[in-house]
Amino acid sequence: MNSNLNKKRMLTGNKAAAWGARLAGIEYVPAFPITPQTEIVETLSQWFADGTLQGKFTNMDSEHSMFMAAGAAAATGVRVFTASSSQGILHGLESIYTVAGWRVPFVMVNVSRALATPITLEPDHNDVMATRDCGLIQLHAETCQEVLDFVLMGYKIAEHPLVSIPVLVNLDGFVLSFSREPVMIPDEKAALEFLPPFKPVQPVFRASQPMARASAVFGGGTYTYFRIQQDLAARQAETVFNETAREFAERFGRTYEPVERFHVDDAEVVFVMSNSFATKGKSAVLKLRKQGIKAGLLKLSMFRPFPGEAIANALAGCQKVAVIDQNLAPGMGGIIYPEIVTAMYDKKDRPKKILSVVGGLGGKDIKEDDFLSIVERLNDSESKRPLYLFDEGDWSQFQQLQKIALV
Amino acid sequence: MLRVRSHGRGGQGIKTASQIMGTAAFLSGYQSQDFPLYGAERRGAPIVAFTRVSQKTILERGPISLPDLLLIGDETLLEDPQAAPICGSDEQTVLFINSEKDPQILKGSFNLPSLPVTCGLTKLCLQYLNDGMVRSTALGAAGARLTGRISLEDLLESVEIELDVMGIAGQPLQSNLDLVREVFGALNPVTIKEREESALSPSKLMVLEQKEVQDAAPIITATRNMVQRKTGNWRIHRPEIDYEDCNNCMICYARCPEGVIEMDPEGKPVIDYDHCKGCMICAQECPKHSIKTLWEMDYELEPQ
Ligand code: SF4
Ligand code: SF4
Repeated sequence: MNSNLNKKRMLTGNKAAAWGARLAGIEYVPAFPITPQTEIVETLSQWFADGTLQGKFTNMDSEHSMFMAAGAAAATGVRVFTASSSQGILHGLESIYTVAGWRVPFVMVNVSRALATPITLEPDHNDVMATRDCGLIQLHAETCQEVLDFVLMGYKIAEHPLVSIPVLVNLDGFVLSFSREPVMIPDEKAALEFLPPFKPVQPVFRASQPMARASAVFGGGTYTYFRIQQDLAARQAETVFNETAREFAERFGRTYEPVERFHVDDAEVVFVMSNSFATKGKSAVLKLRKQGIKAGLLKLSMFRPFPGEAIANALAGCQKVAVIDQNLAPGMGGIIYPEIVTAMYDKKDRPKKILSVVGGLGGKDIKEDDFLSIVERLNDSESKRPLYLFDEGDWSQFQQLQKIALV
Repeated sequence: MLRVRSHGRGGQGIKTASQIMGTAAFLSGYQSQDFPLYGAERRGAPIVAFTRVSQKTILERGPISLPDLLLIGDETLLEDPQAAPICGSDEQTVLFINSEKDPQILKGSFNLPSLPVTCGLTKLCLQYLNDGMVRSTALGAAGARLTGRISLEDLLESVEIELDVMGIAGQPLQSNLDLVREVFGALNPVTIKEREESALSPSKLMVLEQKEVQDAAPIITATRNMVQRKTGNWRIHRPEIDYEDCNNCMICYARCPEGVIEMDPEGKPVIDYDHCKGCMICAQECPKHSIKTLWEMDYELEPQ
């Protein structure tokens, strides 16, 4: 036997999300199952049923009602958690925009899964990118530990008086949601000290105390006022994240920043990535360095608000950058790429070349060898188009399937 | 880093086996990671799960294509081109097969890259658990033992933790622990060499040209192509119609969820064993109880 067990436990990304919610002392969960997220709400429903969690767990009729219920409950001043994925997120999109505008704090988890068509169960980031402009704060997790920590930190950020916006924590379906690794579960008392019970700073719905939220406005001026306020609060969340991370590090010893620099300082080539595939990127960086290529990796832990300054500072002076998007906006390319380019535009020492790479779609692996191909493409000054990670093996596999599919 | 890949079928506890190894390695002071891979399939379909064990931080995720230790929990998979459990292993891969056959014969008949280690886990599971189907503890124990990195004590604790999650306690837990002791004692650790890190070489990326829409969109024009996907070996149980007793009422034909019972020209139901998945709904539905439930492999026990 080993003392490991007292501190850490083998948890999937999904269980880590559930643990984060549990330690946050959530009081209400509106739920709707969808692969690969279901394990989260299943775990929570069990904890509500056996009395581990006090409050209410409600199975909803759809994600559309689910996100609406999450916002409505948050507007009564209780601590709310919910989770979804992929088509579920899309179905709930109208409600997500709506409740984000209500300026009520709660945490939702998205377990990334590619979108139809064609339909699949496997991961990429088009679902979370679809929520990019909804007015959510977005934290993207690479490890199961980050999932738990970001959920806990997420409440603190969401509920901060200067923010008051829902936080979305993203993790990759399958690759992280079903992977188990050792996760440090904070002690309940320490978690409570870090995150005391939710005390709303704004008026909340109470019985016999009439008030309204989100009434219609006409004439663009009023509308614009509320929208700009939303933008200012979302921008504020970066500072609040940094404060929260500082306190988190003091209490729990784990340090987080909006962007994580992995061997970036002396790097000539930097890969910009997010979520669980960043682990593969880090491994490739170490191998490339052994082969004499000074590579580095910049991981985006925060995606909304967009930490443009932090990114620009990290990439300043670096010659070549490849932004690896695990999503695709047809007719445009990778979605994160233009955001990175924008962040660098007015910097004197901006990279000479910023390449857009699209890969890891629909569960397709990004292989370590692919990183060398990316470096080669960066050295080829001619190419203008994004680099798609699609290889001869993928092609022959596709051809075999097509033979079966077509007469 | 030690990379373990486990193969079996849905319902055999392959994911749990990989988790038992993962937790046991973690308890023994290693970094570990485990990960199952399954799609929308169900009982009987090929399942694969992975366990990584390392002294250092694990910078890998997802499937293991080149395993150091390959555990095959169901030997019928060796013949399954879809599961292709041997795929990606090399001479350096240690093979373990749940089988009572002679390792030499297995190596010859399946063209294995090395002589496999074998142990008849199914028989032991029947003996200890009265169930030859669930092999999670036995396979997990075999894997943990073969690595030579995990003590019996940590393994037993891991089994307790993982079975507790599934609500297994009391006598069933004790039987599982006895089974673990037996398997652990029956096998010896093998030498697993740390693989040399291979240098990166560029991928064979290609530039796709635009195709006409009928080739570019996910359109299927071929009919009845599901026939090519043979699911007969998903069967754990085999339905067998007693034609002496059957009165050709066609109820099984109507109720088979896979549509693999056909009525022949004489009006008799005929099961297509290439595709029957062994769900046994037909046996449940037959009003005359004319469909027998048999084990697919000749186990000694009567199916329950
Ligand atoms: S067991 Fe019976 S019902 Fe099930 S697939 Fe086979 S023939 Fe059909
Ligand atoms: S349901 Fe039973 S009796 Fe009816 S056709 Fe099928 S096997 Fe025969």
